[in-house]
Amino acid sequence: MDSHIQGLLERWLDPKGLSVVAGVLVILCVLVAKRKALSFIIKSLSRNKVRTILTGISTFMLVMIITFIWTVLHMLDLMTAEKTKDLKVLVTEKWSARGQMPYSYARDMEDGGARRPGDVKPQDSMAWAFYIGTLDASKLTRENFAFFFCMDPTKFPTMMDSLEDFTLAEMAELHNSIKLMKADKSRIMLGVERMKALNKTVGERIKLTSLNYKDIDLELEICGTLPKGRYGQAGVMNLDYLQDALDAYSRTHKGEKHPMADKVLSLMFLRTEDMGSFQLLAGQIASSGLFNNPPVKVETASSGVASFLDAYRDLLWGLRWLLVPAILATMSLVIANAISISVRERRTEMAVLKVLGFTPGQILGLVLGEALLVGMAGGTLSSWLAYIVINGIYGGLPFQLAWIPVFRIPVNALWWGPLVGGATALAGSILPALTARNVKVSEVFAKVG
Amino acid sequence: MFLRKFASWLLSSLIFLLLSVPVLLGILIGFVVLLIIVGVTLLPAVLRTPINLGPPPSAHAFQPLIILPIGLGFFALLFLSLLLLGRVPVGYNLRNLLVRWRTTLMTALAFTLIVALMTVMLAFVNGLYRLTGNSAQPGNIVILADGALDESMSSLGNASSTSPIYLLNQEQRQYVASDEHGEPLVSLESYIVAAQQVQDPQGRSKRRFLQIRGLTEPAMTAQVHGLSLYPGGHWFSQAGVQPIGRLPNGQETSEQAIQAVLGEGIARVMGADLYQRPLQPGDLFEVGTHKWVVTGIMESAGSTFDSEVWAKMQIAGPLFGRENWTTCVLRTSMPEHSKEFADALTKEVKNPAIKAQTEVEYYDKLNTTNQQFLVAIIVVTAILAVGSIFGIMNTMFAAISQRTKDIGVMRIIGFSRWQMLFSFFLESLFIAAIGGILGCALGYVANGWSASSIVSGGAGGKSVVLKLIVDGPLVASGMLFTLTMGALGGLLPALSAMRLKPLESLR
Repeated sequence: MDSHIQGLLERWLDPKGLSVVAGVLVILCVLVAKRKALSFIIKSLSRNKVRTILTGISTFMLVMIITFIWTVLHMLDLMTAEKTKDLKVLVTEKWSARGQMPYSYARDMEDGGARRPGDVKPQDSMAWAFYIGTLDASKLTRENFAFFFCMDPTKFPTMMDSLEDFTLAEMAELHNSIKLMKADKSRIMLGVERMKALNKTVGERIKLTSLNYKDIDLELEICGTLPKGRYGQAGVMNLDYLQDALDAYSRTHKGEKHPMADKVLSLMFLRTEDMGSFQLLAGQIASSGLFNNPPVKVETASSGVASFLDAYRDLLWGLRWLLVPAILATMSLVIANAISISVRERRTEMAVLKVLGFTPGQILGLVLGEALLVGMAGGTLSSWLAYIVINGIYGGLPFQLAWIPVFRIPVNALWWGPLVGGATALAGSILPALTARNVKVSEVFAKVG
Repeated sequence: MFLRKFASWLLSSLIFLLLSVPVLLGILIGFVVLLIIVGVTLLPAVLRTPINLGPPPSAHAFQPLIILPIGLGFFALLFLSLLLLGRVPVGYNLRNLLVRWRTTLMTALAFTLIVALMTVMLAFVNGLYRLTGNSAQPGNIVILADGALDESMSSLGNASSTSPIYLLNQEQRQYVASDEHGEPLVSLESYIVAAQQVQDPQGRSKRRFLQIRGLTEPAMTAQVHGLSLYPGGHWFSQAGVQPIGRLPNGQETSEQAIQAVLGEGIARVMGADLYQRPLQPGDLFEVGTHKWVVTGIMESAGSTFDSEVWAKMQIAGPLFGRENWTTCVLRTSMPEHSKEFADALTKEVKNPAIKAQTEVEYYDKLNTTNQQFLVAIIVVTAILAVGSIFGIMNTMFAAISQRTKDIGVMRIIGFSRWQMLFSFFLESLFIAAIGGILGCALGYVANGWSASSIVSGGAGGKSVVLKLIVDGPLVASGMLFTLTMGALGGLLPALSAMRLKPLESLR
């Protein structure tokens, strides 16, 4: 629980979080200091409410799409960004993508293949197998099918990702479920969305027919839930329980081993202190005789994830470099159009302001301020609403990409909205603002006359 | 005050709409006639056409062949009705668009960007649908192990059973089609995903997941899947290996290389890393601890096999821990009854227990990813559309407020309220149409681009290299979309123009 709070604090106290807080403070100070100008801008905007509202809604919608796309890209960037400290290391089968390593690898790899004094040992580790089962083998539909991470449940709080998205109550439930799973290996945790699809509740027992371990059908008891979001559709099962079932198979089949008995381990995660330790660890495992049948590949988790996401590279490139710029350009165009029209309609007003003593710079500021206010307001409302509503109701953006079922809108979205809305408004209003600045009093009044 | 004004505006708009019932009725009758014509002539043809032969598979996702002619016909009819039924001042509108060319251009440009984006995104999904649609052969039945969600989870028995028809009994065998030599058209296959070590452009080591299909009779498998080799290549031999002789650096070696046949998509991708050109017969590459030699390149563009490497099962399987057949594909002699035959096989074959399905059904299930992308694109496009609709609404409201005097003059010289309404409505449609045409043209640039992706039925999935396809229905969708945006964005401002009172607007 402490680590959860620590995570939240770290997130807000990192340079990015601090710069956001500083930025908000600066804007508030400027608004207080220039409240007369602000009130003038608001009055100008409220004179044509329809136009202001239409421009605001337009910005709102387009910023929402940008928020969604950046949410996906941000999470993938985080997953594939190389860290220098507190590294997660991924160990997989070297030549096959299926990952079918013997269970013995898990025990030996907990020490990172250390055999000499001075060898590096991982700070933590987690072994993964996958179990896919159905409640009704005669009716293979998505509704009666469940996917499990088979692992040591006590590793969940220290090794799994996205725990910072859990609330304190969810963390408390997680710890309680882990205790129950330790007491009885047949107990499982199930994501709330999957549990709803299966129409089951906590405390119920279920029998699953395996789809990836032939004849290994398991009886399980649901002892807790995993919250909506990353784990909402998944389940967690004790790896020992699966291994026990595979061992039991040989007892009921005249000593014949199950075909998957020595292929249960799909992935192994290790945690190391820094890049130096990772390199030593990778060397130890690669040179160890314990892990060469089948041989294994040791890489940072970010590098491993990048390999798995490689199939989507063109799609992600398109999102990043085609869709987002085109939407930003559209937003700038919409705002530029609205502000240009507004400036054209108010040439006389600008001339009067000049006669009253407003400098060209002040008129420029007025027009830019109007655009900035509409853009920032639309953008802020959009990304803040997306953050609250999408995360609150759906537990994140429901878009299945590879193994990721949902993308939680990051806290950074709270500054993306105002920034994107403001920046595109500024870009779109520069030319109209310069036109307003250069309005010639004599020309305007000559026409009026 | 505001509410009272709004209520009065709403009431007068409703009265106007009631008064113009004859016009609307005319449009409606035309629309229904068009619907009947389309229904009678096109719909049965579309429904009769099998998925893998007829219209582009995108038709099954959003049925453009039905919706598009109706939609575009509706807009065409609307234009014609307006021009024929009344004196709409079209010339005035066109002149105004030219005079306010900056605003017109900027608004049209916003449409252009949105429509171009939509076209490119849908071209991607279109390519995915075309890919899965083209991979299925009529009359083919795919057999996987019972309960297997995809090929990677299936196990049909040890690969030592090389007789391709071992699963079937004598009675079942008589329904299997044969080739010209009397050999049954059956292919036993093993789907393997291997990890290949490659270097990225920065020289860093990374992994590529490579799809290998282990086979025994490549020529037969190709015949079953309707594939052939490009000239200059040949299928791998019975041995499945050949001596390398001389390495690319000129060094002599006694090493053997595993023979492989490649889809042209993967040949292009792998060749780019090694030789900066697509791989050709005779080229060497490495997977696992072995060297592989290309013996042929398949004409596989537009199918899932485009991303596969085919090799001798008994050699490739053990290298990657796969000792079982995963898939059996057979061609029935009665394609029209392939569904019944597949169901019968599922019931009758028990050792091992299997799930047989037509290849069309199998590839339809792989469309889960495509449908998900399609839904995501529709959501993105819808939100973008709302943004753009408000954009054009803004422009049109501004156009009206700038031209209140014009409207007053026209009303005084005899133009009626509804003519004013349609005049401004047409103006917004015109801007949208210009933007849409440019957007479709811009989006068409993406036609033929290659992209990588995954097709999946919910579990596992296949890496594929697809081509973006901008076809007629897609362009028509873009135009329909842009005109709908223009219509929705232009309606409210046009109604407000209609409401203007001549004398008040001249003050």
